[in-house]
Amino acid sequence: MDENIKKFGIIRTVVLLSFILVIVYAIKLQIIEGKKYYRLSEENCIKKKYITAPRGNIFDRNNNKIADTRPGFYVSVIPAIVDENTLDEISHIFNIDKENIKEKIKIEKNPFMSVKIIHDIGFEQLSIIEEKREELEGVEVGVEPLRNYPYRDLTSHLLGYVGEVTSDELKKSNIYLIGDYIGRMGLEKEYDKILRGAYGIEYVEVDAKGREIGEVFEKRPISVTPGTDLYTTIDLALTESTAIFLKDYQRAGVVCLNPKNGEIFVLYSKPGFDPNVLVHGLNTEEWQKLNSAKNAPMYNRAIMSCYPCGSTFKPFVALAALDARMISKNRYFDSCRGVYFLNTRAFKCWHIHGRLPLIDAIVHSCDIYFYQLGRFIGIDTIVSRTKKIGFGRLANIDLPQEKSGLLPDRQWFEQRYGKSWTEGHIFNLSIGQGDLLVTPLQLACAYTLFINNGNIPTPHLIKGKRISFHKTNITNEAIEIVKQGLLGVVTFGTGVLARVENIEVCGKTGTAQNPHGEDHSLFVGYAPANDPQILVCVFVENAGHGGSVAAPIAGKIMRTFLQQTIKISKDTTVIRNYVQKN
Amino acid sequence: MIFSTAGGNYLLKQSIWLTLAIALCFIFSTLSPRIWSMLSPFIYLLIVFFLFLLLFYPVGYPRRWFKFGEISIQPSEFTKLGTIMLLAYLLATRKKLEKYIDILVPLMIVAIPAGLIFMEPDLGAAQIFLPILILMLYWAGMPGIKIFIFFSPLISAITSFSIYIWLVYIVGLSVFLYWRKRLSDFVYGLISNPLAGLIMPLLWGALKSYQQKRIIAFLSPWLDPRGMSWQIIQSKIAIGSGKLFGKGFLSGTQKKLEFLPERHTDFIFSCIGEEFGLIGIIAVISLYIYLFYRLIILAKETKNRFSSLFVIGVFAWFSYQTFLNTGMTMGLLPITGVPLPFISYGGSSLLACFIAIGIILAISKSKLEY
Repeated sequence: MDENIKKFGIIRTVVLLSFILVIVYAIKLQIIEGKKYYRLSEENCIKKKYITAPRGNIFDRNNNKIADTRPGFYVSVIPAIVDENTLDEISHIFNIDKENIKEKIKIEKNPFMSVKIIHDIGFEQLSIIEEKREELEGVEVGVEPLRNYPYRDLTSHLLGYVGEVTSDELKKSNIYLIGDYIGRMGLEKEYDKILRGAYGIEYVEVDAKGREIGEVFEKRPISVTPGTDLYTTIDLALTESTAIFLKDYQRAGVVCLNPKNGEIFVLYSKPGFDPNVLVHGLNTEEWQKLNSAKNAPMYNRAIMSCYPCGSTFKPFVALAALDARMISKNRYFDSCRGVYFLNTRAFKCWHIHGRLPLIDAIVHSCDIYFYQLGRFIGIDTIVSRTKKIGFGRLANIDLPQEKSGLLPDRQWFEQRYGKSWTEGHIFNLSIGQGDLLVTPLQLACAYTLFINNGNIPTPHLIKGKRISFHKTNITNEAIEIVKQGLLGVVTFGTGVLARVENIEVCGKTGTAQNPHGEDHSLFVGYAPANDPQILVCVFVENAGHGGSVAAPIAGKIMRTFLQQTIKISKDTTVIRNYVQKN
Repeated sequence: MIFSTAGGNYLLKQSIWLTLAIALCFIFSTLSPRIWSMLSPFIYLLIVFFLFLLLFYPVGYPRRWFKFGEISIQPSEFTKLGTIMLLAYLLATRKKLEKYIDILVPLMIVAIPAGLIFMEPDLGAAQIFLPILILMLYWAGMPGIKIFIFFSPLISAITSFSIYIWLVYIVGLSVFLYWRKRLSDFVYGLISNPLAGLIMPLLWGALKSYQQKRIIAFLSPWLDPRGMSWQIIQSKIAIGSGKLFGKGFLSGTQKKLEFLPERHTDFIFSCIGEEFGLIGIIAVISLYIYLFYRLIILAKETKNRFSSLFVIGVFAWFSYQTFLNTGMTMGLLPITGVPLPFISYGGSSLLACFIAIGIILAISKSKLEY
């Protein structure tokens, strides 16, 4: 058949080409993309198991654990194996929206990698899952270390809490795994990298159903690096006492520190929250409720509340005047008759003091004296000194979210009120009212200059940190004079309720004016006067005069602390807990 | 032939079939091919009968096998053989093949078993009949272009998935038919093609859902990695991970850890790829190509028309099935459940192939006779 020859040719060519195509495609798969497929085949059958490192513990200065870990059960799934029905089942057992689960699964690029979807399940739920193991393909249960805060709201703002890492955070860094916990707020956030350690990796061989078959000997496991423990300067017992002293009040912030080196004994804010709840996980509703609660429990008042600090600012105005050599300690101004008129405006004083020199004006907190003093030295002098002291700037504590407050200067007033800003503004500033904004931490730090010859240590929470000071360059003379005033405040002035028996206490009361409600009560004090061991700043919202509420609380705190160090006879107001610790 | 048992845990069974197959092969090779020429109509009817029987045989779904205890027989494999025989017989007696009518009878012969097989359902086996028919018609003397025009509605049906491609095709076809200046071609072409294109959506619905899924899986495998595209992805991983030299005999992890389904039957080629690498694949394909080459040379040299057509039919069968299987394991073609001739585990396939070889050996002995 001759025509067959031609057909033969065509057929031969077609078939040859087809199989050459097959070979070419094989080359593509095996040679060009061989590596990729090899890796995929490995990933198919070799599963990387990540082992979470236990988070470092956090201790107070007496080695009490204020944050540790406890075991919790989690549920994870392998995206490639788990199917819709299984997800429905899980969503039903745990009462979680299936879409949430799917969101988490989507983030993981490798479909054969376990993804943690639910943390901290109860024992009952664990049993249910174990029972249904065969049905629920691709679902695994494991144990992981979970953060535990034994003292709950006592240390909530100090420590912060840990929450699950978000998809954005995952994208930015590769040290986090899906389902990891990351510190948010407080020390947990500030020292997250140290606390978290590093995860370990184990390699296991699995079959198509995801069942583990055995170890893989070719790949060496990487061992876990446990998180580093943190030893803080915090005094837990003192914090507990503080909480008890504040039990009649709803909102407050307290900072206690060692004025000589900036170590913080107490950083307390009320109301607090229970961080354990956040570790377990809140749904969106609960989270909204917590965040928008009326008393702002998530707000750390000690470092974030900004308000005019009232009369506690006066000593610094006095310092400014003395440092600038614009007055002497014997300087008098017009007598205080309860009211002072600036043009037509009336500026009040809380009491009729009559004629006073500087120190007495401090002791009795005479507003009218300070109106005149402030105006006399001028805003620039006030601002230049107080700025050096740290007002309007961050105190640089090792915590996130600190606020810097506001120290209004000439420029600021001009911007805010136009060229026609008045001396009335200086009046207000001189007595610490108006536009001045200060946090309890800033205030506490500012007062440390009286103890360190004008130097202010950086406040810190971790033991063993290198202590740094910043100099204010205020003259010692000025400091000594004002110190006398501070001693007088507690001895016979507005702060007598802060007295501690047998100990000389220095301090200053303050009342922050609150246009929306009752005034806030403030007190800053330190003791003993000759060798101060502790400085306390107490701020209680809507509690009235500083002398009546904040001062006695501060006094109790100082007494509690000093009885520990100086061992004076115990007062009946000392708490049970504290006794136990000793 | 390579007979790799790399994928098989079924070595024993396959060996038994193999022995039987080789025995039959020898026997058949001694018989004169003319016997087949005469017996072909009866054989064909027998096959069709069995196919019918299968439809009512309650073995579960899909209905492709007769089961006798441990042994299962798949008639569709033998059907290919029988159909080729009858076609060869019919086409051998025709002198001229020019009109469309000439295609009708062969088409019927093919359509009946193909249709029955399709109803089992087994789309994979059914579709093989088409290339067999086309090639045998071509070899018997029908001009290629005529064949093309006759079957053009199929192309129309396939392209109808995309309205743009379809329109381009129809326009191109019209121009071509007009240029040919044959009225019958023209009329036929321009009626059947658009019709086919419009009917296609209905036919799509006639496909079983898993068949539809397979096609979708072929087009975009990563849509549902755990579900419909699982096989393709695993198969590609198996082959690709073999790289140049493969992972070594019996070391394929895809196979070992049960990642690749059907690894001893339809996907045995993947295992070859995984365990022996590109070298293995080239070796196997080379062997196949050699076989096919010998087949078409034989077809060319054989003087007897029946024998020549028979050989071409078998050639079409083997080569197309091999191409389908290897292509599907690599993701080149959609998944269809066809085994790899001689290599895949499966008694019926092995038997049918070896019988065919036996007959061909007989033909080769008598190729110079008329």
